[in-house]
Amino acid sequence: MKIAIGGKGGSGKTTIAGTLARVLAARGLPVVALDDDSNPNLALTVGVPAGRAAGLPALPRDLLEERQDAQGQTSLELKIPTDDFIDRYGVPAADNLTLLVMGQPSHGGSG
Amino acid sequence: MRGVLHGLVAETSRIAIVDLEAGLEHLSRGTARHVDTLLVIGEPYFKSLETAHRSFTLARELGIKQTRMVANKVRTPRDEDTVREFANRHALDLVTVVPYDTAVTEADERGAALFEHRPDAPSVAAIRHLADQLVEAAP
Repeated sequence: MKIAIGGKGGSGKTTIAGTLARVLAARGLPVVALDDDSNPNLALTVGVPAGRAAGLPALPRDLLEERQDAQGQTSLELKIPTDDFIDRYGVPAADNLTLLVMGQPSHGGSG
Repeated sequence: MRGVLHGLVAETSRIAIVDLEAGLEHLSRGTARHVDTLLVIGEPYFKSLETAHRSFTLARELGIKQTRMVANKVRTPRDEDTVREFANRHALDLVTVVPYDTAVTEADERGAALFEHRPDAPSVAAIRHLADQLVEAAP
């Protein structure tokens, strides 16, 4: 199950995203919550204190490799298994729930 | 780099819940390719519902498999009628109506997770219902 949640700022999308993640995780399902907002506030709604929700560190280059598809387009891909990556770079939020912040954390208003 | 991270959504064995950039105009093919459901949050007033409607159109153009609407901050039966009537008229799949709930603002003010602050709050009950619907519809 791969769910994206969108809406205008102030619509409550972050509260719904974070609480949905907690509800599913509380049922024993393994969940990763990804904050793709450039003003990330998901940490709070999943129960991670602001100080622990630093954005992803710059990824070491040796974790990535460039691959070329049949059309000659190159893309960067992870060299380690995805779930290992999440374990290593994610923040444990609650039982069965890991948080990954893609943007830089800030302390502005919520979405 | 974002491409790598979006790929995570597709490849993880876990359930993935992505909180997108505010404003669906940022919705990209990259995100679209990797999710099976987009939830659009709409509030019960015309401008918000119109924006949600446009997001459905955009999501279809981007090839997102399924788009569903969640109404939020619904205060009155009249609000709920407004939302249901709009969703019906435009054939928007309205999955859950989340009531306006002071527990949300309380949790915000305390810097707490709503789920921990008031697990029995009406808004949390609605989100549990949302989870039921999503699990039921999951491929």
